[in-house]
Parts: sequence; structure tokens; C-alpha cells
Amino acid sequence: MSSNRIVPSTPVQSSGLSRKGLKSGTVGLLGAVVIGVSCIAPAYTLTAGLGPTVSEVGVQLPAIFLVGFIPMILVALGYRELNNAMPDSGTSFTWATRAFGPWIGWMGGWGLIAATIIVLSNLAAVAVDFFYLMLAQVTGNDSLAELTTNLPLNILTTCVFIAVACWISYRGLETTKVFQYVLVGFQLLVLGWFSVAAFIHVGAGTAFDATPITAEWFNPFAVDSFSSFAAGVSLSIFVYWGWDVTLTMNEETKDPGKTPGRAATVTVFVIVLIYMMVSLAVLSYAGVGEGELGAGNPENQESIFAVLAGPVMGPFAILMSLSILSSSAASLQSTFVSPARTLLAMGHYRALPRRFGGISPVHKSPGYATIASAVAAAGFYAVTRLLSENALWDTITALGLMICFYYGITALACVWYFRGEALSGLRNFLLKFLAPLLGAIILFVMFLKTAADSMDPDYGSGSSVGGVGLVFVLGTGVIALGAVLMLVMYFRNPGYFRGETLRRGASGDQA
Amino acid sequence: MRYVVGYTANEQGRDALNLAAVLARSQAAELDLVMIDPVHSPYTAVYPPESGYQDLLEEQLKIWLSDALAAVPDDVRAAGHIRNADSDASGLIAAADELNAALIVVGAASNGLFKRFTVGSVANALLHAAQVPVALAPRGYSRSGTLTRITCAVGNRRGSEDVLETAVATAARSGLPLRLVSLVALDASGRDGNAVLEADLHAADRLARAQELAAGRCPVTAVVAQGRTIENAIDDLEFDDGEIMLIGSSRLAENNRLFLGPTASKVLRSLPVPMVVVPRSFRSGPTGGTSRPTEVTE
Repeated sequence: MSSNRIVPSTPVQSSGLSRKGLKSGTVGLLGAVVIGVSCIAPAYTLTAGLGPTVSEVGVQLPAIFLVGFIPMILVALGYRELNNAMPDSGTSFTWATRAFGPWIGWMGGWGLIAATIIVLSNLAAVAVDFFYLMLAQVTGNDSLAELTTNLPLNILTTCVFIAVACWISYRGLETTKVFQYVLVGFQLLVLGWFSVAAFIHVGAGTAFDATPITAEWFNPFAVDSFSSFAAGVSLSIFVYWGWDVTLTMNEETKDPGKTPGRAATVTVFVIVLIYMMVSLAVLSYAGVGEGELGAGNPENQESIFAVLAGPVMGPFAILMSLSILSSSAASLQSTFVSPARTLLAMGHYRALPRRFGGISPVHKSPGYATIASAVAAAGFYAVTRLLSENALWDTITALGLMICFYYGITALACVWYFRGEALSGLRNFLLKFLAPLLGAIILFVMFLKTAADSMDPDYGSGSSVGGVGLVFVLGTGVIALGAVLMLVMYFRNPGYFRGETLRRGASGDQA
Repeated sequence: MRYVVGYTANEQGRDALNLAAVLARSQAAELDLVMIDPVHSPYTAVYPPESGYQDLLEEQLKIWLSDALAAVPDDVRAAGHIRNADSDASGLIAAADELNAALIVVGAASNGLFKRFTVGSVANALLHAAQVPVALAPRGYSRSGTLTRITCAVGNRRGSEDVLETAVATAARSGLPLRLVSLVALDASGRDGNAVLEADLHAADRLARAQELAAGRCPVTAVVAQGRTIENAIDDLEFDDGEIMLIGSSRLAENNRLFLGPTASKVLRSLPVPMVVVPRSFRSGPTGGTSRPTEVTE
């Protein structure tokens, strides 16, 4: 019968849901802060990012952590304007395509995907390190912790972690409120405990290399070179990555007009406080020397808590392992969602082969794109691990580069998209023009400086390929790979590149 | 009378749609194809933020649902619905409630590795929570005609009155032959003789009751099926292509809710024809005559 048709949902049924398929009005201020902190995953970012940053800037670590927040907030302000203007197509890929057209849009999407793929592989590797460390702490058998240095076993375990997270994400399983609260509360508690315990050691004279805190630690201009400064800032952008999630929240909050802004502010205070406590604790306790426990010892820099938690926290070090393992495993699973959805959007708009746009009929998740992300993350990790003497360190540095790249493009997309309203009023000028423009300039300067420096074979952990630093090869190699794939797509399926699927536009255009 | 079809754009969804069309045609029912659009938890904290996916998903669901509606046979009326819900099962139960549906139809097959003998998670969740009968389409169900016979499993315990009434109502509605089956697993304890005798007596009692309820509107027969296990007993039975089997939910279930007892689970795993699980104390009949008003969708 020809009467068969889809019945639109009744208003009662459809209200109560946000555009993103989330229940409206369910997240209060505390909930939003928890979500913000969980996206930053401070236990993970500190263990992975603190060592490499100390290697660049030494005792000016607190200063760089404070300065690194500036470009983040400048870009985030622009990000929020784009999110408000184009809420239904919210990714760096669609925004940059709308502002600059298909070519830069493609690279913006690629930069976001590459950054998330790199962080996935790093999250999994950190989880694996602490998994074996925790096994050793539980059984009292220290040799178990050494298993993670066994190359084939390490790569295999990491691939298993990635596969499990991929499966959970593919099945559309989600994190509950209670789980997220417990996870975040536990992380903050353990990091606080670590800091206090370290200061007690310093006070009692039992610290490894007690170093008195001085005002110089907070002076970013005391960093010895601009190269170190740039590298430090790229790394500290990584430690704040995730903070801006609160600014993009909307209908799911109890008060969309106030909750997101307040949550972002509270989250920043919480995070800066915890970063300052931990970095001061580490520097005061261990110094920046290259001794056994020194934060300047390259051996310690790829995972600072794996080395320091034991001496500082004694038998309770297992809590640190548990906290990092749980937070990196949870981030691993939730981080899968974003690259998979961006790949799906690119497949949908024919910027990638159509199969990337496939949705799992049963789980309603981006099926093909989720699996593709997992394969890419596992592949990236295996390659890095085989090429690098210190894979975690090098991937974090490459990740800093990649975040600068796609954040920079997104910020410029904001400036360009809103160019017509930039001069209409002070608010527009500041939020839609000046802030994102400054943010983009800082990020691109950091990007170019770090990329140029990283060509030196001694850069980062000192691994190199053919006489060129591995970080450069990883960072620019991934971007170049994107450019090549983009050209391949152009020749095979030019529809997207001719603007047939996604159109350029600017604010104020007729839809 | 309306039936809710839990539709997914895969093999299970097509199994469900085929079975629903057969049932609707035999019982003069209308179909409501329901697809579930999952509600996401904000605490999953997707980062970097991404807000375009929901629109793409909704677009895809509409395409799938239109395709499914186009595949419904011309002589069956059907409407499509996309519902937001935390889970497929809860969404289907809510839709059945809201639409006053007399039955929920889903594909029973699992996506898992050990496909043949497992029930899919949605079917399983429905069997634990639905308050209306649930019809389970076996893997690869592709019949396109009408029903030819109704089989009703009458357990050898008391409490099978509800399913019997439902079965009689269903058969009587379209004058289909009704077959009562008493399943007996013979164990090695030496009480086999007694078990068969008991089953024979029970079957005769149920037959008398069914004939009384049917009052001549449909022919009723009874049979005792025995085997070493319930699965073997099922294998012994002959089934028509156009047959469905009704079975009552467990006595453990709360009133008016489904819960699959051990016998029903075993039946489900070896049954070659669709199975309809009827909740205890269900009165209006899955395929029988409920006179609740139906909403008209234009």
C-alpha cells in the first residue's frame, strides 16, 4: 500500500534531547567540570608530558605550564564562536571547509584525525606500561614491570588494549556519570597525595635531590632559548588539550547560558592548581639533574610517575598506577569517538571513500571509521616503537606539533569565517577576530619553530631516520601523507573538491 | 490491532520484517516499524568536540526506514517511527506501550561468533522486560504467505493457562488449526514411565480446556513430544513452514512480564519456526482480539 510512511516523532518524544543526541539539561556545574577534567586526564598528561617538558625548559616548567594556557584559551574562544554559529556541523573538517574551501578543510580534518590517532597510540602505550607496573606492584614481583620493555610483547599488549577500546567504542557502550565521577575524583586525590608526600620528603630531608623553589621557576623569560620555549609551549598545549570541551557544551547543561563558561573557569583553576602542585613537587623532590631519580634523566622522562611514585608514595604507589591506568584506559575508549566521527563525516561528504561513511546498523556507531582508527593507531605505534629509542616521548612531541597544526587551522577558520563581522562591535572584534588570530599566530610560530628544530637528529629522545630527527619525520610525515591522500582523493573522486558536497560560506551568507 | 517491529538495517531486521508481515496478514494487523536512535551519555565526553554526527545518523536512519517501508508487502499497512531511547529494548517497549501494540516482533539471531545457538542481545533484553508478547524470527526467515498452523507449548506445570488462551484466540481469529504440544525430557532416573504418563494426562486435560475455549472456531489437537533432552523432543516434532509456536514465560517472572524459563530457552535454541513468548497473566492476546483503540496515522 502506498500509505507506508515515516511518522514524525511527536513533540513530547523529541524534546528533551539536544542536537547531539544527549539528554537536555542533565549536566550541572560539577558534572561539566568533571567532564572537562576527564577530557584532560591530568594523571595521564602529567606522566606523559612532564618529562619531555622538563627536558626542554628545566626548572621553568611551572612558567611554561602557565604560558601554555594562553594560546589554548585564545583558540578556544574562537572555537566556541564557530560552535555557536555552525552547531550542526561541528568539527575542524567541516568548519575549515566552510571557511576556506575543500583543500584547507581536508587538511584541517586530517590534522585532527592525525592528532587523535597519535594520542590514541600514546594512551594505549602508557596504559600498558602502568598495567605491567601494577602487576609487579600487586604480585611483589618486580620483574613483571620489565615486561613492558620486551618489544614484541609491548607492541602486542598495546594492540590488544587498542582493540578492546575499539570494540567498546564500536558497540556504542558509554561512560556513565558515576564511573566518570569516581575516575576523576580518584585521579585528583592521587595526584594531590603524590604532591603532599613529595613535599613531606623534602621537609624531612629524605627527598632525592631537594631543590628550593625560587621565583625564577615562574619566569618564562628565563628559559635558555627560544627553541626550548617553543618546544615547551607545544608540549604544554598537549597538557591542556581537552579543556575546551566545556565551552562547546550546550543544551545538555542545566543552564546553557552560564554553565559552560563557569565550568571552563572552574576546570582551569582545578587543572592549573594540580599542575602547579605536581610540577613543584617533582622539581623540589627530584631536581632536574640526570641522577637516578632526577627529572632531567632521559630514562625517567617518558613516564615520570612510573619512576617517582614508588620512592615518593611508598607502598601506596600502586594507587598512582591504578589512577593512570584507569584514566588512560577510559580516555583511550572515549577518544576513539572523535576521529571515527570525523572520518565518517569526511566519508559522508566524499572527501574520503564512501565506505568511511558507513554506520553500523546494530550499534549505530561509525563502524568502518572506528576500525580504521584502531588500525591506524596500532600501526602508528608499532612503527614508532620500532624506529624510536623512546617512543612515548617522541609521539608526545609529534602530537604537540599536530595539535598546533589543526588548532591553528581551526582558529584561522574562525577569523576568516567571521571576517564580515570582525569590526562590528568590541565583542565581535575580540572574540571572533583578535583572540583566534593571536592564538593562530602563536600556534603556527610554535609549529614552524618546533618542526624546524626537530630536523636535528638529536632532537627529542635523539632518534633519527636517515639523519633527520624522528619527531620531524613523524610530524611532517603524517601531514605530508595527508596531502598525498588528498591528491589521490581529488583524482579519484573530485566531487568534494569541486564543492559539490560541502559549500564555502561565511557568517551572514544565506543558508 | 498493531504490531511493533524492532527494525535494524541488517539480516535480523529483515527476518523480523518478514515474520511481522506474515503475522499481520494472518491476523489483519497493522505494523509500526520502529528504529532506535540511541541517547548518548554526556559523560562519555567526546573530545575533540564533534556535533555533526547526530544529523548524519538521523539521515541514515531515515534512509534505512524508508527502504524498509518500501519492502513491506503491498497488502500490509505499515508506518515508520524513529525513537530516541537508552537501549533498543527499552525503546521498543516504550513504543509498544505508547502505540498500544499487541506484539513486539524482532529478529532473534545473534551477531556473535557462535551464531546458531545464541539469541541476540536485543531479543534477550526484551524477553526479560517486555509486558506484551514478543515474537522472535529465526535467522533467515523469508516466508511471504500467511500462517498455516499454531502450535502452543503447554508445559507440564500449572500456570500455562494464559498462553493457552492466547493461542486459542490467535487460532480462532483466522480459523487456523491449533496443536498443543507437551514436551518431555526423559532422564536416566528410571521414572521415565511416570513422566510420559503424567505428560499424557496433562495434554489430555489441556486439550479439553482448549476445545472448550475454541468452541468449534478452530480444530485443536494435542501431542506429547519426548526425547532425551528438550532439544531432542523438539527435533522429533514436525513443523509446517507457516507455523509459529507460542510458549509461556517462566513462572519466575513478575506478573505480566516476560522471563524465559529453562525449557523455553532450550526450545528457542532448537526451534526451526518463529516463537512467540507470552508473558504470564497476559490477557488481551498477542495475535488475538484486543479491542483497544488504535491510533490512526495519516
